Amino acid sequence: MSQAFVCTQRATLIQSVIALAFCILLGRLFYLHIWNHEDLADRAQSSRQMVKVIEARRGNIVDQRGNLLASTQMTIDLGVDPQSIRESDTSKLPELAALLNKSLEEIETAFATTSRIRTDGTPYLVRWVPLVKGLNQEIAAEVDALGIKGVYGNNRYARTYPGGKLAAHVLGYVNKADVAANGVEQTFNYYLRGQDGWVESERDGRRREMAQYRDREVLPHDGLNLQLCLDQMIQHIIEGEVDRLAEEYDPESISIIVSEPTTGALLGLANYPSYDLNEYYNTQKYPVANQRNRALTDSFEPGSTFKIVPIAAALNERLVRANQEFATNLTHMNYRGRKVNLPRDDHIKSNSLRLNQILVKSSNRASAQVGMLLGEQMLYDYASAFGYGEPTGCDLVGEGTGVLHPVRNWDGLTITRMPMGHAVSATPMQVHTAMSVFANQGILMEPMVVRQVYDAAGESVVQFRPRAKRRVISTETAELVTNMLTDVVEVGTARRTARLDGHFAAGKTGTTQKIENGSYSRTKQVTSFSGFLPARNPQLVITVVVDHPKVYKASGGKVCGPAFKNIAQSCIAYLGIRSDRQVSAPLALKPLLLHGTSRMSN
Amino acid sequence: MAQHFAGRRSAFLRLPPAGVFICFVVITLTLLGLVALFSASQAMHDNPAVLLRKQIIWLVIASLAGVFTMFINLDALRPLSYFLAGVAIFALVAVLIPGIGVTVNGAQRWIDFGPMRLQVSEIGKLGLLFALAHYLSNNKRYLDQFVRGFVVPCGIVGIFCSLILLEPDFGTTFLCGAVGGVMLFLAGMRMKFLIPATVSALTGFAILVYNDPVRLARITSFLNVEGNRSDSAYQLWQGILAFGAGGLQGVGLGSGRQQMSFLPEAHTDFIFSIIGEELGFFFTAGVVVLFMMLFFVGILQLKRAPGLYHYLLVMGALLFITFQALINIGVVTGCLPTKGISLPFISYGGSNLVFMFVLTGIILNGFRTWEFSTLQPKRDL
Repeated sequence: MSQAFVCTQRATLIQSVIALAFCILLGRLFYLHIWNHEDLADRAQSSRQMVKVIEARRGNIVDQRGNLLASTQMTIDLGVDPQSIRESDTSKLPELAALLNKSLEEIETAFATTSRIRTDGTPYLVRWVPLVKGLNQEIAAEVDALGIKGVYGNNRYARTYPGGKLAAHVLGYVNKADVAANGVEQTFNYYLRGQDGWVESERDGRRREMAQYRDREVLPHDGLNLQLCLDQMIQHIIEGEVDRLAEEYDPESISIIVSEPTTGALLGLANYPSYDLNEYYNTQKYPVANQRNRALTDSFEPGSTFKIVPIAAALNERLVRANQEFATNLTHMNYRGRKVNLPRDDHIKSNSLRLNQILVKSSNRASAQVGMLLGEQMLYDYASAFGYGEPTGCDLVGEGTGVLHPVRNWDGLTITRMPMGHAVSATPMQVHTAMSVFANQGILMEPMVVRQVYDAAGESVVQFRPRAKRRVISTETAELVTNMLTDVVEVGTARRTARLDGHFAAGKTGTTQKIENGSYSRTKQVTSFSGFLPARNPQLVITVVVDHPKVYKASGGKVCGPAFKNIAQSCIAYLGIRSDRQVSAPLALKPLLLHGTSRMSN
Repeated sequence: MAQHFAGRRSAFLRLPPAGVFICFVVITLTLLGLVALFSASQAMHDNPAVLLRKQIIWLVIASLAGVFTMFINLDALRPLSYFLAGVAIFALVAVLIPGIGVTVNGAQRWIDFGPMRLQVSEIGKLGLLFALAHYLSNNKRYLDQFVRGFVVPCGIVGIFCSLILLEPDFGTTFLCGAVGGVMLFLAGMRMKFLIPATVSALTGFAILVYNDPVRLARITSFLNVEGNRSDSAYQLWQGILAFGAGGLQGVGLGSGRQQMSFLPEAHTDFIFSIIGEELGFFFTAGVVVLFMMLFFVGILQLKRAPGLYHYLLVMGALLFITFQALINIGVVTGCLPTKGISLPFISYGGSNLVFMFVLTGIILNGFRTWEFSTLQPKRDL
């Protein structure tokens, strides 16, 4: 091609270079658009794609009367984007500080934190400096009204427990990582937690969602609500009693359980030491050990409260009559061709006791003889039937089983020691359910913690029914033993402390030496009382266990009896349990007062 | 060939078919630019029509300027060449004076005229074009002299380049240097002058870039786009992703996502990425082909130029358009380090649009007035 005014070679060179440059660009476009299309498109897509989780609201927990025990509130985590603040807002900072209850310096520092240094030493811009966490909505709205650019909050659900320490061990809590720990929060997490929803969407370069490209939105299903069998008032009563016992005896631990015998419904459960559910993380104030639900996890030798097992077993098997006499002055007996030592009974003066007096006097020696009448296997079978050595099936976490050795592991002394509640260990809950058998005509119930699961509209989703585990003894046997237990409270070891004014109560005291370094301690006792009322028509079973009360000659009657009585009487007043005691003579002389009394108890 | 072009002319504009074709190319690219601008500005403004309206106003001005340039007598303009260059140099100096020039992002490149803002380097380019064409065609035979063949022509290019460099505007400096250098080369500057001049200019440029951390970072991040994709090469990386996302057919007009704040300058320098994402390979390759054809159709016509002045003027105009297109597309596709060079006819920006239409006007002016090929080929009998 000839060029008019310029050197042809030079023009050709320039044209060739430009043509080559265009071809390179076309090749590059081909590479980007087509050759490398999938890789680049994926990268572009993945940098835009976002999945935003929409948190489901965790369900409430209420007591059997609908009082709120645990709830979830919308709170706001407030923070500031230091990159987008305006000079003109500086004058509003004192107001903000006042609203957030923080010092002006703190706020100003947060506003001035525009960059931080990475671990490798390079600085980077900060787009979010937290100001305050868990702000409630009213204050957040006021902060919003200030209109400071760059200050904004993210919504977050926060679990709150209006009762604080109330029923801490039954409820449990949800920790900061959203994991339910302890109590029904953990066991019924499946119902409570709900199902988080999500949005699949795209975001732009500033990480804001582009709502127009939402292509899937799954709404969250809020968690279901839980109605416990627990009664807030009864829980309150027993926690008051726990506090009183703790103050008076400074024990190592206390467990009190109250339930309904016919259904197994757990009306109240309290332990000492306890903790505040809203401050579970404060291990300085509440050591982690306080979170243990000792009524379920810790076992102790039940002692005399276990005597109901051999007595009831022997009666149920018709091996003994109610008026059969047992010698209490023997120190040794022959048992299956060998001589066995009988346990001591220092507090019993008479030489013999009838069967129905064994519990009243809490005779170790006579109980041992009853046990020997039963034999190892039958004693073991009945202890198992009463629920010893197996979990009660309570819907709370960490339940222990206690220890009930199989017969082949028994030593020569066990047959005489187990009937008095040694060589066996049980949790307070096991002692409690065993006692409930007598209050429920011989049937062992599974403790029931949750009454129902219901949805936001109040419709019941899952109903929990009382569950009977097995019949342990006949109704007649239960009645016979109940009479004996009533005598314990009326005239026996608990007569001074647990006897009720308006009602017959049945119950059994227990006092055992704590085992320390492999032998029984002389100074440390575990005292307990387990009983029910009214004796004829039982409505409440109450078990009180106090570990190592610091008092001279501690005994179940002395330490736990009054607690039983206080709780029983408060509950009687609260539930309006009808009096079953015959009108006593002094009251009969004052008809006016009687009238008042009966109306009260009705 | 040439006769065929010379023979058939449209009656109205006296344009040869090549001129009509160039008109077609320019109009197509401009319309594509408006469409892409409207799409890209959706993410930037609440009212996406704001930028479009501004651009259309500029387009009207640009068209008037282009048609005006098309019909003026280039020869009559020739004595005014140095005057034009003087005005351009005056403007380039004026913009550096604080108070007259407007500073945006640390560069003083604009003079504010109330509603309009003029990018002075565009006037500078025109001044350079006319001055160089005029000087070289006057002094062609003295080009082997040291002063007239080396000092003066290099001085002309040097003055414009250094003034633009002071703004600072490295991209435009490079562009002017390249166009000026090619014009010198074509006009027949001796290689013994040209090679040392080019080498020293490039060295000086490289030293300046090396001592400027921001621009050095652009170069280094260009060498490792993926590694720097979250900071210094962010825009470039997002632009490259846009091409990939577009694929063969594009994601559809208005459906592009990369301009949604991923590409901060989507409507100006990176508009080609938006076209790539929304319209796909066919359109981007089409744009490249159109620019290429614009250049070569122009080159074909050059042999009818009546003199070196005309030749260099039209050649310079073609080079400005072509180089700007090459550099811009090279940058957004990741072939060249980032520079602030806009894509002719397509990018948003008034001054550049007016300048491009003026250049087109110069080209068409030539096509319109050149009657014959000066050196006629032998006729077939």
